[in-house]
Amino acid sequence: MGKIIRRSLLIILSVIVLIFSSCAPQGCMEETTAYVKASFFNKKAGKLLPPDSLTIYGLGKQANKLYNKALKIQPAKIPLNDTAQNCIFIIKINGKTDTLEFRYNSYPHLVSKECGYTFYHTLDTDRIYTKNAIIDLWYYKRNITTINEENIRIFY
Amino acid sequence: MRRTYVFFISILLIHLISATQVSAQDTITFPLKIKVGLEVSGPAIYYSNKKILSTEAYVSADINEKVAWVVGGGTLKYAYSQYNYEYLNKGIFGRIGADFNLLKPEKSLGKYWAGVGVHYGINRFNTEVPAFRDSNYWGLTKSSVAQKTAWGHFLEITPGVRAEVFRNLSIGWTISLRMLLYTGTGKDLRPIYSPGFGNGANRVTSGVSYFIVWNIPYKKKQVIIKKEEPDDTEDTAQSGSEQSGTGQQSVGTRQQSAVPQRQQ
Repeated sequence: MGKIIRRSLLIILSVIVLIFSSCAPQGCMEETTAYVKASFFNKKAGKLLPPDSLTIYGLGKQANKLYNKALKIQPAKIPLNDTAQNCIFIIKINGKTDTLEFRYNSYPHLVSKECGYTFYHTLDTDRIYTKNAIIDLWYYKRNITTINEENIRIFY
Repeated sequence: MRRTYVFFISILLIHLISATQVSAQDTITFPLKIKVGLEVSGPAIYYSNKKILSTEAYVSADINEKVAWVVGGGTLKYAYSQYNYEYLNKGIFGRIGADFNLLKPEKSLGKYWAGVGVHYGINRFNTEVPAFRDSNYWGLTKSSVAQKTAWGHFLEITPGVRAEVFRNLSIGWTISLRMLLYTGTGKDLRPIYSPGFGNGANRVTSGVSYFIVWNIPYKKKQVIIKKEEPDDTEDTAQSGSEQSGTGQQSVGTRQQSAVPQRQQ
């Protein structure tokens, strides 16, 4: 019986060693940018529904649009400026233009040894936006990380 | 009342049988030792990579032929850099626990060890990110994280082997499987490498350590050696091949402890 236990223990240890030795370091395969993940809710349809046309760009960055008349985007991924404490975006939903401002604090976060560091953000509770296409704006998770989760919901 | 008598008589008989068995067993003199071990791969790695210097040593004391208390510690100087960040860590660590020898005393003889250690570790370190870069839609951001002192805690399981190659001098290796309990730096700035643990970005890490160990015998202990019992599977196979009369005898022997109860 003792022999069986010892042999089993050796086998278990060997398997553990194999598992750990197979976990060789890889390149950076993870998401390294903390986006605000904004989902779109159509009030008329009464459900989560992406707009037919979506354009988003940062204020002063019209030449470099995040989305340009993009179709069926759900959720939209909006990056914040690491070096600033607020960020203004122009958002055009089905041809109607709004501005959306985020106020936040940023802090460094280690993604992994392979990927290095990025900035995470915590949104202030202030919700600043115009109401042309946007009807309402909800903040769900104000902690903006690389995790794929809904942060805000835009009602249009 | 009768059942009570039977119970006590049974207990008495069982003790008599087991006492007879013990007196029939052999004994060996097992040397209990204090061991001082020095990890050698750390300085060897430093010779080829001047950015990592780890040192480690331990002292263990045999409690008996199976178990030894272990106290150890070491230091770390670690520097790492890649295209988007630089990282520094410098600190010390300590660990305490027990080593369990899985070898039988008559095979171990105080010279050979094959077993597993279970240790609790604690480290104190200064961690710093002198520079890192992050780029996104808004451009490139250059930043840094100031030096911070932190305490970390971890658990460690270390299977391994050691053998005495010269009188009172052993060599051996252990595989360390470590689980982080607390980084001391918060979840956002986990240490990329921390003393005694390794990559703090992972909750579980592994490593291999190579030791030279000086053994100091301090006491001798008489250890009873149990004779090897044949495995159950072998018994079954044997009785199956035997004739029916012999088979019955075998079954009677195996149920020896139940005999007194039948004599109620």
